[in-house]
Amino acid sequence: MNAVFVIAGRILRQRVRDRSAIVFAILTPLGLATAFAMIIPDFSPRVHTVLAVVDEDGGELATILTDEVLGYLVEADIASIEPVADVATARERVDSGDAGAAILIPAGFTADVQTGNATEVTVLAGSGATPREIARASVTRFANDVGATQLTLHTIGDTGGQVDQEVLARVMDAMHEPSPIAVTDSLAAQAQASLATFYGAAMAIMFVFFATQYGALAVLAEREAGTLNRLLASPIPQAAIIAGGALAGMVLGLLAMTVMVIATTFLVGASWGPPLLVAALLVAAVTAAMGISAVVATIARTSEQAGSLNAIVALCMAAVGGVFIPASQSPEVMARVALITPHAWFLRAVDEMTLPSVTLADIAPALGVMVLMGLVTGSVGLLRARRTLVPA
Amino acid sequence: MAVMQAPPPPARQVLPRAVEETPVPAPPATVLSATGISKRFGKRQAVDDVSFHIAEGETYGLLGPNGAGKTTSISMVCGILDRDAGEVMVHGQRLTPATTSAKAAIGYVPQDLAVYPDLSAAENLRFFGRLYGMKGTELTERIGEVLEVIGLTDRAKDRTEKYSGGMKRRLNIGIGLLHRPKLLVLDEPTVGVDPQSRNAILESVEQLSAKGMAILYTTHYMEEAERLCDRVGIIDQGRIIAEGTRRELVALVGQLDKVMLTADGRLAEGAAAARAVGGVREATVQDDRIDVLATEARSILPRLLESVTDAGVVVHAVEVIEPDLEAVFLHLTGKALRA
Repeated sequence: MNAVFVIAGRILRQRVRDRSAIVFAILTPLGLATAFAMIIPDFSPRVHTVLAVVDEDGGELATILTDEVLGYLVEADIASIEPVADVATARERVDSGDAGAAILIPAGFTADVQTGNATEVTVLAGSGATPREIARASVTRFANDVGATQLTLHTIGDTGGQVDQEVLARVMDAMHEPSPIAVTDSLAAQAQASLATFYGAAMAIMFVFFATQYGALAVLAEREAGTLNRLLASPIPQAAIIAGGALAGMVLGLLAMTVMVIATTFLVGASWGPPLLVAALLVAAVTAAMGISAVVATIARTSEQAGSLNAIVALCMAAVGGVFIPASQSPEVMARVALITPHAWFLRAVDEMTLPSVTLADIAPALGVMVLMGLVTGSVGLLRARRTLVPA
Repeated sequence: MAVMQAPPPPARQVLPRAVEETPVPAPPATVLSATGISKRFGKRQAVDDVSFHIAEGETYGLLGPNGAGKTTSISMVCGILDRDAGEVMVHGQRLTPATTSAKAAIGYVPQDLAVYPDLSAAENLRFFGRLYGMKGTELTERIGEVLEVIGLTDRAKDRTEKYSGGMKRRLNIGIGLLHRPKLLVLDEPTVGVDPQSRNAILESVEQLSAKGMAILYTTHYMEEAERLCDRVGIIDQGRIIAEGTRRELVALVGQLDKVMLTADGRLAEGAAAARAVGGVREATVQDDRIDVLATEARSILPRLLESVTDAGVVVHAVEVIEPDLEAVFLHLTGKALRA
């Protein structure tokens, strides 16, 4: 075991001294993550608009619209409500851009609804499509509820019944109740990392392959340096040469990813999630990267060839795994194909960890898949690497 | 002397009681015993049934041209390469690539430089010392000693990438010596080395041998084998074709020493007088020179000079040419050693 640490220590010292690990595993991904976060527009923009509201009615139904329906938008930080005195003022606010849209509730609105007469709520739209859609969707939903109320009242009237005040009060109360059928927007409910977090994570998982390769290439590097024979002649288990390389690769990988997590958190405001879960995620990701790099290294004949091959594999897997284009923006089939890469699972787990209530169970599938990928590929790499332990 | 086959390892003698009282030095212990080792790479038989042994304090040379099987043989001896057949015992322990205890008795100096260029000499020594289980004060002190021996104390903290080729070679050997091995295996350590460094390396090997270390030395330089080795195994095409001391090998092929006397005077009489000297096989006159063929030229030289001088010859110069291992190799294989 001592030999494993001695060999790993030498590799780490070498990589720190020649600065290759620092450049490829830390500085490059950190620079790219920062650049991407700064120059690429957010693919999940935060919408916020101002809605001017003219309430000429002041009745109970108008209050439901302004306080409860539009109040939901305020709670969700989607819109601010600005009451204005009249239509002219509302028009002026919209035209000047101070308000994204305006909603006009006419006088007698509540009474018309209660008596089953036609009425209307007007949406004044500005130049922006999003505020207009927000205002229209909110009013449409309210109008549908009102329509249902009117249908109830008409039905009572048509069947010869009298609409007494008690019935009317109960119908009005029902307007305050939430809809008995809850419609869940799966896309809106899906956890999604911020731009800074996404690119920090994406660059970290892509470039960790460049960090772990230094461990995976250890046997090839020893052979080219002429030191493999001397190691083979040493009184150490031959497997220690491979294990030492693997340990060095793991340490470099973890170091690089940890630096990325800390740096992106403080430099670009990335939000990675609970530290313990992040640590578990990094270990799983590095395990996967180490295993894949190990297989790639045994295919090549020289360390230079292995380095190039590893870079190609890392970039291809990154492209497929949603590092450049998030899975949420990809076609469904691509999102499924991406799951053959540890990158996709890593990014999925990072998304999960943006939820405040995230637990280990939430990211366990991603952790399990990545560790499994690492163990399977690492075992193949180990078996193949043992065959390379022959004199140079 | 043995030819084509290594002699058995020296066995401890069982002496009669009367003789036991007389102090008899024990024969040197066998440090390395390689018996019938073979290795095949595909269709090529790289090493075929090679056997040799090395005793304490003995320097054994494997002499042969490039590709003869020297490196493959020592790779098996050092446990770097698994063998197809045969047995290797080091310091009483059976050695395989998986053996760690037997390997600890060997100091291996590979043909190619096996040092880390990004580490200093001291760091290289420390790294390999730790792989051999050394640590703490013992390791630090030993590193200092080895640096002194290889003459790199002043440059101990410089990265070896800044060293000259000779300095790297010396460090390469120093790493092999660090853990005080019972057997030092040097694989062509002077290839590509300048004359000064080469001489320093040869002197170091002589000193180590004098201190009792068993040394296995491979080379294709005949003069190195003659200078350093107590016994030489001549290897060609994976087989040891002859083994023994230099004198034994020379005698094996019937080669005689040649003495060339540059002289004037009565040369014919001088040649006749030379033929009468014991050990002289032939004496002929060549222009202003008498050429003498003898079995032990150096030992008969005083008597030879006396005889020819008495016969009326004035000797101006004497040159003694002894048959070398190059000639032996040529005789045995029909080809030059460095072909």
